[in-house]
Amino acid sequence: MAAISATDVELVYADGTRAVRGVSLEIPEGEFFGFLGANGAGKTTMIKTLVTLLRPTSGTITVNGYDVTDRPRAVRSSIGYMAQETSIDEELTARENIRFACDAYGVRSADRSERIDTLLDLVDLQAEADSLAKSFSGGMKKRLDVATALVHQPPVVFLDEPTTGLDPEARNRLWDYFRTINDDGTTVFLTTQYLEEADQLCDRISVIRDGTIVADGSPAALKSTVGGDVIDITLTEPTPETIQRARATIDAIEEAELSVEPTESGIAVTASNAHSLGPELITTLAESFEIAGFQTRSPTLDDVFLALTDESNEHGNASSDAPMDLEADQ
Amino acid sequence: MSSPPAGTRNPFVVDCWINLERWLRKTVRNPFVVVSSLLNPIIFLWLFTAVFGSVTGGALTSTLGENVNYITYLVPAIVIQTALIAASSSGIGLVDDIESGMFEKVLVSPMRRSAVFLGKALSEVLRIVVQVSIVLGLGYVLLWADTGGAVGTYVATGWPGVVGIFFISICFAVWFTALSNLMALWTRDQESTIIGANLVQLPLLFVSSAFLPLAVLPGWIQTVARFNPVTYGVDAVRALMLGQDLLTVISINWFGGVWNTLVPALGVLIGLDLVLGGIAVWSLNRATSADVE
Repeated sequence: MAAISATDVELVYADGTRAVRGVSLEIPEGEFFGFLGANGAGKTTMIKTLVTLLRPTSGTITVNGYDVTDRPRAVRSSIGYMAQETSIDEELTARENIRFACDAYGVRSADRSERIDTLLDLVDLQAEADSLAKSFSGGMKKRLDVATALVHQPPVVFLDEPTTGLDPEARNRLWDYFRTINDDGTTVFLTTQYLEEADQLCDRISVIRDGTIVADGSPAALKSTVGGDVIDITLTEPTPETIQRARATIDAIEEAELSVEPTESGIAVTASNAHSLGPELITTLAESFEIAGFQTRSPTLDDVFLALTDESNEHGNASSDAPMDLEADQ
Repeated sequence: MSSPPAGTRNPFVVDCWINLERWLRKTVRNPFVVVSSLLNPIIFLWLFTAVFGSVTGGALTSTLGENVNYITYLVPAIVIQTALIAASSSGIGLVDDIESGMFEKVLVSPMRRSAVFLGKALSEVLRIVVQVSIVLGLGYVLLWADTGGAVGTYVATGWPGVVGIFFISICFAVWFTALSNLMALWTRDQESTIIGANLVQLPLLFVSSAFLPLAVLPGWIQTVARFNPVTYGVDAVRALMLGQDLLTVISINWFGGVWNTLVPALGVLIGLDLVLGGIAVWSLNRATSADVE
């Protein structure tokens, strides 16, 4: 049985905004699922609907086998949820925050102390356990928030953009915790705007745009949607005219499967074999242009969107059976 | 999967206690808030009695028919002011929770919503009992100093009267608690909620029977005071302090003695509690239900 199952979910706000437009999801137990989208794409609305904070306008959702509309309390007691904004009581200590969560989720008092200690260890807050949360850094608060979402060892955990705004070190620590709980069998539903994050953590990713799922598959499949890594080339004189000529030059290279997009400082070339292709491209370009620099990087969400929405891109539909009705939203 | 593998639900009383405990912990942890919110009432009690104590004798004697010390007369007003301030902080706590995300965190937990709010309300009741005790004690000390130790009767109706004063304070606080929570839900902003609560506080107190008998106040104040809940709260507490019927805005003589004040005053307050409390509960329910706003 699926841990999370959603069928044709629509959510329309009172002002008429159609935040979620017919989303269906089937997430098996134990999966690390990524819900990828830009700001305003509908990620948070969807996650709030899944955790019973919003009622779907139409469609059905079950979490752990319970219908979110008919049995909201059963859903609530069987899930952990971490909101996008850090949600802790700053006037309480770390231990008290976790204790309150333990009580709220009915953790037996015999198990409580041990559970609190285990969680404090998990999120590395044992040393600060009895300090007021208001004295914590942003990363520490976030870690405490994670701990409070796990007190009842929920089989499904929802994480809404858990690392947005954190420094790389804090982010990496959180990733480790998420991997740990997923390795222990917990189903994880994570929303993120970073492809890298989804790539690092998730077994499967759905990309949401304007309330609709536009792509669905493993991180590798999604990356192939983009068509590989990206080479950013900076031109010394990035005028519209030189950029146009540089694009034409690249396009003239027959052998490689690649696509070229203009950027502010030059061009971006996407190719499946970007790393081996790089030197050749640069050599060819250097014959007619002054190149200030170049860099090969992994595709970003922007690149995914470009690939998904760019009609001329031959890799556009590579990944899946996902609906591609993007024209209507443009 | 037939049952959730984790997470249980508590009995109603336990949910209540969990939330009561959290709010008490926060209150005790911030003694500054408890003390500073008493500062205004204490300054009022001390300065008003010092400034007006010597000139109010005539007004009190002419309306009450006996020589009443202004301290004894003023303490009921300060008791109600204390309840008013405590009630206004309820909404501030709610906004605090909304802003910190704790509100949503509690909503997504399996705790019953009614228990969540009842627990918070009970912590406010406890706070009012403590603060009113402090005000009553302080009034006694001031009176003791003023009379050179010959206090005589402080609360005319005795210990049952003191219990009654707590009860009236709580009845009085409910409607303003409801109002302050409504303000919190409307504005969802801490500053607006604080400013809003402060804004209505002083006019409510002054345009009532709080500081002087209505009979010696201008006609328009007498008219407005009739519709001001503070008048009913202060007169009810004062009736217990002085042991006489002194509610002038509603004249009823069916019950005898202080009951002629207590019954109609509490009737008005409890009626108001039910109406505003009902609206607040309805609004909170709406704000916390999963229906899209």
